[in-house]
Amino acid sequence: MNHLIKLIMVLFSLLLLTSCYDKVELEQQSYVIAIGIDKNEDKSTYSFTFQIANPEVGSTLASAGSTEEAKETITVPGSDILTATSIANSTVTKKIVLDHTKVIVASEKLAKSDDFLRIIQSISRAPQIRGNVQIIVCKEDASEFLNNNHPTMEQRPHKYYQYMLQRGRQTGLIPNADFHRFFQITEGDADLFLAIYATTIKEKAKEHSIIGGHDYIAGQIPQKGGNPTQFIGSAVFKEGKMIDIFSGQETRMSNVLDKTIQMNDLLTTYPDPIDPNYQVSVDYVQKTEPNVDIQYNKKTNHASIYVTVPFEVELIAIPSMVDYISNKDNQQKLRATIEETTENIANKLIEKSQKVYGSDPFYWSLYIRKKFKDIPAYEKADWNKNIYPNATINVDFQLKRMSFGKMFNDSKINEVRD
Amino acid sequence: MSYKPIKKNTKKQDKKSTPLNRHTSMQIKQLKEMYSHNINKDFCSRTLFANFNKKNVHLFYYASIVNSDKIEQAIVQPLLEDDGSSFPNVLTNESLKEIDTMEKVIEHINSGKVVLLSEGDCAAYSIDVSQFQHRAISQSENESVVKGPQEAFTESTHMNISLIRKQIKDKQLITTVSSVGERSKQDVTIVYISDLVNSEILKDVQERLNNIDTDNVRNVELLEQYLEERPYSIFPSIYYTERPDNAAAYIENGHIVLLMESSSACLILPVTFWTFFQSPEDRYSRFMFGNFTRMIRFIAFYLTTMISATYVALANFHSQMIPPDLLLAITASRERVPFPLLIEVLIMEVAFELIREAGIRIPSALGPTIGIVGALILGQAAVEANIISPIIVIISALSGLTSFAISDVSLNYTVRITRFLFIFAAGFMGMLTLMGAFLLWFMYAASLKSFGVRFLAPIAPSFKAPKDTLFRKAVRAELWRPTQIQPKDSKKK
Repeated sequence: MNHLIKLIMVLFSLLLLTSCYDKVELEQQSYVIAIGIDKNEDKSTYSFTFQIANPEVGSTLASAGSTEEAKETITVPGSDILTATSIANSTVTKKIVLDHTKVIVASEKLAKSDDFLRIIQSISRAPQIRGNVQIIVCKEDASEFLNNNHPTMEQRPHKYYQYMLQRGRQTGLIPNADFHRFFQITEGDADLFLAIYATTIKEKAKEHSIIGGHDYIAGQIPQKGGNPTQFIGSAVFKEGKMIDIFSGQETRMSNVLDKTIQMNDLLTTYPDPIDPNYQVSVDYVQKTEPNVDIQYNKKTNHASIYVTVPFEVELIAIPSMVDYISNKDNQQKLRATIEETTENIANKLIEKSQKVYGSDPFYWSLYIRKKFKDIPAYEKADWNKNIYPNATINVDFQLKRMSFGKMFNDSKINEVRD
Repeated sequence: MSYKPIKKNTKKQDKKSTPLNRHTSMQIKQLKEMYSHNINKDFCSRTLFANFNKKNVHLFYYASIVNSDKIEQAIVQPLLEDDGSSFPNVLTNESLKEIDTMEKVIEHINSGKVVLLSEGDCAAYSIDVSQFQHRAISQSENESVVKGPQEAFTESTHMNISLIRKQIKDKQLITTVSSVGERSKQDVTIVYISDLVNSEILKDVQERLNNIDTDNVRNVELLEQYLEERPYSIFPSIYYTERPDNAAAYIENGHIVLLMESSSACLILPVTFWTFFQSPEDRYSRFMFGNFTRMIRFIAFYLTTMISATYVALANFHSQMIPPDLLLAITASRERVPFPLLIEVLIMEVAFELIREAGIRIPSALGPTIGIVGALILGQAAVEANIISPIIVIISALSGLTSFAISDVSLNYTVRITRFLFIFAAGFMGMLTLMGAFLLWFMYAASLKSFGVRFLAPIAPSFKAPKDTLFRKAVRAELWRPTQIQPKDSKKK
């Protein structure tokens, strides 16, 4: 009994000594939703932009937040992100917490410099930032991007990013660019990392006659009205440094060929094989994963990569009104066109990645690793410099099934217009 | 079974006994003095002239607890008119007993019997003509079921036993009586099936009953507190129920039931945690339906103990675990509230307990007002006055409402006290201390025993049993009695 009393007293004093350590009331914190990072002129400092959500906007309390902005965006200089939060506290009233950060926006200028890896590294050290934070590269300065981004529907920033990125990934127009993946790929020292590419600046409308209709990068879509911010395409990172930009179509293709990425909503167009003036719109469905088969010859350090992509399509629009449904010959032609076109796009992308980048954005190094005895052997063979650029790659898209939607027969245009 | 029968006083041995002698008139005087005959109005003494032995016979009884018709028919008339050789010959009533000490005489008078003292005889006779007043059998109110028998125990041992016997027609169903209390002797009826019950436990119960050292134990509610091993524990160790069907079900599994004259409920022992968790209706409903209810009740159990504490822990220490929408909504509503979140939660929880307590004590005519006042003041006005944030109303309403799903009166208190313990624990260091408190609570529950039976059996430690714990099997698939209580016959036929 005596022991019990002592034990209780010790436990209780422990509770007193800790004195609710770490306890913070919710309303005494400011929740950062987006962080922007820019490079300053001098080397050692950066500008950090914090976009802080205003909790009172969107809440149902009648009196609350009727005139306040949904977010507050401030930019402060600093050498790393956590010290920047304390400087930001000179204007922000409450403790800045980064737990709920959804995106990190880096300017293209910073991403292309050597410093990107340094600064990103220091962010990953902070336990507050989650592994699933998405990395966005923007054409302009990150502070400018965050300040110019004025969504009209989802005014609350966390909702905006959540929906925007979710939908973008579903359609495959932007990659899955979370923090984890960045470090996995960068430290794996093979493959290319794709970050989300976005901008608020509109370019002059690009001359485009390319099939597929998704061959844009952010800023090129001649959009009218709405929020000027566009999320399409991806920034290509090699060894922690940005080297190029992929268009939406290229991003989609690399998402298709990458088994680690899931997409479910790919609407696209193909040229109409019978009537070249029109396009056929289809819903591309990837029911089974692509098969990546790598044959590796140790002596010559040469790899042959065979990729088979089984897919299905559902025709959603045939503006030319050619009969693809009951006419088998036409159907054959269409099938051939679809497979061929897709393969062309893939082959172009692969060629570019082999010749220009010397590495792949498809995370294919995963499938060759098991062919080596140990990690040093794999590192010595060097996927990026030796294996991939010289590999023989054969991509085979196999259209397994074509379905025609709800209606079989189109209106007979000749009969309608007589 | 590792098992320690309690050692306590053996005071009963030095009990006085005064044998009756032939000086009847002296003893009559003594008795009358003892019962304050001249001021105690319902104490009756009558003198009759017995026909068969031509002597005076003195009758003593309490008028208020006997049936006077019965006295006339079974005692007065035979004595006055009938012939015979001895008292048992003349008084043919089945409860006639010969008694030989003064103490017995007093005890019998007190328990509603008529005691006869015959002039010059050194023995007395008692006849049971008691008629204690009690309620008729009514519906079970605190443990109501939709599907199942509706009768509840009432304040009469006789009727209660009859309600049990109605369900178990077994010659081995035994009802023995022990008396407790020094000044006022009360009968405790022990009901069990003799070829099922674990005789060690039965012996222990009887010993404990004998060792109760107090003036008076009026009913089973008090008896429970005299019997239990740990009076300071937050877990109950004896099951209290007002349903005879429930009692019968436990008796059939080898448990022991205690009844008392002035209680409309019984005590069942030994029991486990699951006993308190279950409702008889779980078994009356079909397999799927019964288990669905159990699942709901388990969710309710979790919510009522944990939800407020979890909210405190998450909001104060782990805001990163709250989804942003909810987080911002809570933050917005908290911005105008003057109290820390922990206090806010406590205000509402205490308020809810207040309503609950007041709701029980309030005269039933005023009942509806409590709902209006409670709902208005706590729900709406407090939020509008910025004293609490709306989410707290949801949290405390949820934890309060779900506590009603734990229908057992004893476990209900356990759960409500636990909730407060957990809220405080969560307020110290968040999830860490909450989990710590939960572990301690759980370990304590696992360490408990009810009359030698582990509280979390038959799950931990595992026993052959119907496995009627969190979920139950189909009734046909139950092959065993709960062997954690070690019944004499462990297989169900």
